[in-house]
Amino acid sequence: MRLTRLSRALIAKSIIEALFVIALAVYFAYINFHPYFRGSIDVADERAVAGWVVNEAAPDERVEVHLYINGHFVSRLSANAPRADVLAAGRSLDAYHGFVFNTPSLPPNHSYEARVYAMHVIGDGRRRVLHEIGGGARQFSVTADQENNSVPEAWWESEGQR
Amino acid sequence: MGKRGTTLSGTEATANRPLTASLETSVGAPVSPLANESRALAAWELVSVASSTLIAEWAVLALGSNKTLFAVPIACAFGLMFYSHYLRGETLRDLGWRTDNFTRAMRLLLLPMLAGSVLLVLVGWFWFGGKFSFGERRAGWEVFGFPLWGFAWGLLQQYVLQSFINRRAQLIFGKGVASIILVAALFALFHLPNPWLMCATFLGGLIWATVYQRAPSLYALALSHAVLTWVLISTLPADALHGLRVGYKYFG
Repeated sequence: MRLTRLSRALIAKSIIEALFVIALAVYFAYINFHPYFRGSIDVADERAVAGWVVNEAAPDERVEVHLYINGHFVSRLSANAPRADVLAAGRSLDAYHGFVFNTPSLPPNHSYEARVYAMHVIGDGRRRVLHEIGGGARQFSVTADQENNSVPEAWWESEGQR
Repeated sequence: MGKRGTTLSGTEATANRPLTASLETSVGAPVSPLANESRALAAWELVSVASSTLIAEWAVLALGSNKTLFAVPIACAFGLMFYSHYLRGETLRDLGWRTDNFTRAMRLLLLPMLAGSVLLVLVGWFWFGGKFSFGERRAGWEVFGFPLWGFAWGLLQQYVLQSFINRRAQLIFGKGVASIILVAALFALFHLPNPWLMCATFLGGLIWATVYQRAPSLYALALSHAVLTWVLISTLPADALHGLRVGYKYFG
């Protein structure tokens, strides 16, 4: 009888702890992999990378976005450019959720991929997580012109990218 | 459990304590199905308390942002331990909450403690250049005084380690080397991934588990725990011990 009671206690404890760890993991994923960023990259070419992003959990706040090209950090800014179409589509409470990055001078005759990430600040700011927006990379090519002819093959080694 | 302990005497105690009694005499004797079942349960209890400790040290610190979440696995572990003591009819005296054998336990501890201290001094001297800090004030001193803090923390750890883990290990393997090594190994496991602390706790676990099996006095073990902890943090540098951090906190 006592063995049975002990077995039951052990089973109950196992279940409680399993549920606790599951809840902890879900909470961790929810906090760190914030599921509320919505946005897209509408333009990616040799002149600009532009789009919009909204944090649906706080739709009146501006989101910090980071641009990476071929895996290298290029620039960051606050997405506060006017995008009336985003407001009209009911995605946000105001129109100021756009971003426009100037594409840096890149070596010509290559294709590139641009990725834009929204910065998610957790808690008191000790932990920050980047969330990709727009459903993945946007490909674009650069043709030769007077400006980028002198850019080295490893363009991130060029002046201004170091 | 204390209340229950006072009622267990004579024939009543024999009738009400089948789980512990059957296993205390199990070495060399024919093993009954009840004893086998109880042994398996004891193993399950060990795994269960170990998993609670590891959940607290690794999962809560890695995944949770609130330290009060520690309360869940800790409460589960202590709840199980108390309930298990109750069901197995273990009294406070059985568990080691007693003073009559304090002197005997201290006598047994004296030589291993001396040897352990000399070993730590030698390691500190030859491995880390002999930068000892015996006279330094420690964290927690301002609140309770380090000796009191060390004793209280040692008492808690020794209760879990000996009154529960050691006793369950004895239910599985009986008294002796196997159960002592199991206790020491689990104690070291709880101090992953801190290498120096794991070595120290394994050796400490061997000493304390051996003494507990001969003279179960938690007060003597707690005193020994506090003294050896003081020697450890005074002989090995803080960066080698990582501030005694264990689990996920070791990396932070």
